[in-house]
Amino acid sequence: MDMTRRRFMGSAAALGIAGTMTGLARSAFAAGPELTAVEWGGDVVEAMKQIAAAQDASTFNWVLHQGGAGAILPKIKAVWPNVDFDYVAGWEGSFNSMVKEDWLETINPVDIPNLADIPEKIIIRDGKGNIKAVPRAVGGMYFGARTDIAPIAIKSIDDLLSPDLRGAICWPGPTQSMMLQIVALALHAGGSETNMEPGWKLMQDLAKSGNIGRVAVTDIDFTNSLTSSETSVGFFAEPGWAAVAKNFPVTRFTKDSNFKAFLYQSGFGVMKNRPNTRATLDFINFAISPEMSALYAKVAGEAPLNSKASTPDNLKHLAFTPEEFSSFVYVPDYNVVLEQQDAWSKRWEQDIAPLL
Amino acid sequence: MSTHSRTARSGDRVAGALAYGVVGLGLAFLAIPLAITCLMAFDARTFLGPLPPPALSLHWFERLASQADILSSLRTSLVLAVLTTILSVSIGTAAAVGLARGDFPGKGILTSAFLSPLIVPPVVIGFGLLLFLSKAGITNGMARLLLGHVIVTAPYCIRTGLASLLGADRRLTDAAMILGATERQAFWSITIPLMKTGIITGAIFAFAISMDDVSISLFLSDPSATTLPVTLVSNMRAAFDLTIAAAAVILMAVTVVLIVVLDRLVGFDNVVGQGLFRS
Amino acid sequence: MTNARQQTAAISISDRRDRAITLAPAVLVLAFGFLSPLINLAIESLKEFTPGRVGSVENAATTVQNYHELANQAFANVLLTTFWIGGVAALVGQLVAFPLAYFIVRRLSPRMRTLALGFLITLVLSSVLIKTYAIELTFGSVGILRPLLLTVGLSANSREYINIVVIAGLVHSIIPVATLTLMGAMQSIDPRLLDAAQSLGAPGWKAHLSITLPLSLPALVSSTLISLTFAISAFVIPMVLGRGRVLFMSNVIYTRFSDIANYPSGAAISLVMLATALAVISVITLAHAWKSRR
Repeated sequence: MDMTRRRFMGSAAALGIAGTMTGLARSAFAAGPELTAVEWGGDVVEAMKQIAAAQDASTFNWVLHQGGAGAILPKIKAVWPNVDFDYVAGWEGSFNSMVKEDWLETINPVDIPNLADIPEKIIIRDGKGNIKAVPRAVGGMYFGARTDIAPIAIKSIDDLLSPDLRGAICWPGPTQSMMLQIVALALHAGGSETNMEPGWKLMQDLAKSGNIGRVAVTDIDFTNSLTSSETSVGFFAEPGWAAVAKNFPVTRFTKDSNFKAFLYQSGFGVMKNRPNTRATLDFINFAISPEMSALYAKVAGEAPLNSKASTPDNLKHLAFTPEEFSSFVYVPDYNVVLEQQDAWSKRWEQDIAPLL
Repeated sequence: MSTHSRTARSGDRVAGALAYGVVGLGLAFLAIPLAITCLMAFDARTFLGPLPPPALSLHWFERLASQADILSSLRTSLVLAVLTTILSVSIGTAAAVGLARGDFPGKGILTSAFLSPLIVPPVVIGFGLLLFLSKAGITNGMARLLLGHVIVTAPYCIRTGLASLLGADRRLTDAAMILGATERQAFWSITIPLMKTGIITGAIFAFAISMDDVSISLFLSDPSATTLPVTLVSNMRAAFDLTIAAAAVILMAVTVVLIVVLDRLVGFDNVVGQGLFRS
Repeated sequence: MTNARQQTAAISISDRRDRAITLAPAVLVLAFGFLSPLINLAIESLKEFTPGRVGSVENAATTVQNYHELANQAFANVLLTTFWIGGVAALVGQLVAFPLAYFIVRRLSPRMRTLALGFLITLVLSSVLIKTYAIELTFGSVGILRPLLLTVGLSANSREYINIVVIAGLVHSIIPVATLTLMGAMQSIDPRLLDAAQSLGAPGWKAHLSITLPLSLPALVSSTLISLTFAISAFVIPMVLGRGRVLFMSNVIYTRFSDIANYPSGAAISLVMLATALAVISVITLAHAWKSRR
């Protein structure tokens, strides 16, 4: 037994299967297909491995996102239509791109019964109203601070310009969070994603102030900058804040009318042209069940979307009542945001980067 | 003793002190980050914090040994680096010999063309290959990676090969042939030993660059072939992960052991070559 | 005499055949794996980009807009930053590597030389990614050697400080490569030449200036070019040490290719970068060729 198992582990490693020990041992006896899934590293893939270990219909080859969710797009484009992945984990930003390229399988609600427990309005559809992705959890992007070393208590976006914050802000770079950080500035100054001039004006002032100590171009830049005390205030997605919060006191300005928070869905995009679509859909249905949603939330640090799953205490900042939602959360038109990415990043390079 | 030679000697002393100063500072500058890498690999913290670490632990090494994806990508990286080194050294050494053999029309242009992959950012090479190879119908991850790595490492092998031949006295080969050696004999007994330093240096560069490359492999790896740095970078993306420091320490240890073994067995100088003149 | 001339002729005939055999593999690999992708990128760079899509769409219109939009101060700044920081790093690297290579080749006992070589090879083999974080922890804004840079009057938040840290990161990778490249050439210099010059009354530094330096000049130029090309195409080092404020061309290009997915623009920037680098390197090479011909 021991010998067989060890041999199996060897061949599993050779095939590039990553998994927890229990996951591997369990899947050794599974007859189902092997699915290739693109997931985020760290806690998210850890959560998915635990979910995969709780079923034995399919085994998994985990591939990790290597940058933002957009970094996988050129690789899919390059080999299309012979895509290697059964599902790709993503959010509004990457899903909208994939819908435009027509890479995603249309989801029939009958195939995923648990979809009935997911709030209808968060589900991504194409122009014809077809469901294109299955949401599993919700995360957020917002301002926050490491309270033990922040030079001043930040009360509003205007405080970011305070001379006390010299070099203390970690600002997301132009590939991060689809530049919603500048939409946040625009909202504060009376604009929106369709009227960005006030946002760019404020962004210029911020860049000129010398308060931006680091521009984070990856998630790890952000967490490293805050944990190493290089900076103490910033705007970032929840996984970044969660990583800092593991070791340091962090306040997220999510329920504060002086700041706007953005929410995003984390979910599954099922790729077309794959042999095991049925098994992929079954797994996704399993993963968004109430128990698995709760498990995912606990491990991955994103709040469950399944209305029958409970939100863990440490994610209370992500749970909004309808009233809170309408006053603190801003839902941008993601199609506008997506189409503006190119123009905004060039604007950043020309108007903001030279001031930093 | 003349005043002239006295000022010359004090000039020597200043110049010597300056040179030793640069050498000493340079060595210290090189050593400090290595020492810090070792320290980081044993850092018990799970986040990047100011040095020194408050506690030491082996947890990054445990992670390195226990993660199946890290182990399989380590294997991919080693296979890839060895194949890359063999191919690049063969192609590069041959090209260097061809280029060093006298003048011919277009020599300058060809030399520049061979070295031109070095001036193109790896990011561009990786992405350019991804686009082109998908059009050419080559989607195998290992084949793509190998081609990408050979493209960026072969120029180093050509350069180091050329440098060792340029420094060498070409008349030595001519002399050997005038003394009756056939061309092939002269090639294997004079040219190749003269190039030894260049070849070994090129091989080291090729292996090191292939093992360490992030920017090309980010684009060219696929689920069947993912290199170690790409796996580690992907792991680092979401959660702070110093497994890469542990991997660096192990690689350093392996290098040191390899050098000691080579030194014991054949003498390290013989492996690396000393050129024409021993001190 | 006749015999010798025949011999020369024989060599040159087989030279030509050998040359073709030795050069062919490199030419083939280069044409397929490097030239073709670049031509493909050049074609891509002339296509119109539809915002929101991944790369250019099929049958996209032809345009020079992707080049035209690069004619601005901000882009010129990134290009300039890449080349001046890269150039300074390459030169500083040679200033350290040259005496270091000489020292290792001529001043160390065989045992110490083995040790030094082992150290250099270990440096080359250690991961750039982790070394970069190590340099961040040494010289960066929270580094242990930060007070050293602060006493010179630099603010940790200033652009100059970041420039110096980026240069330090590049130089750290350049020195081992340059030293190993230079050592090969220095080993081939006859030390008796130096002894002869000195016994004729030349001071040591002058002897080095007139013998060691000129004789290792080809290798020095070669090593400078390797260092320069490495520095200007760096990606990870400016990404981590530049704090997102000092950007290199690679970083701008990567942004276009990955998250923005504007391939045509990324391709156009890549080609402008390539043309600039080619021009700079040709000037250096030509200057060297002209000087050595004189």
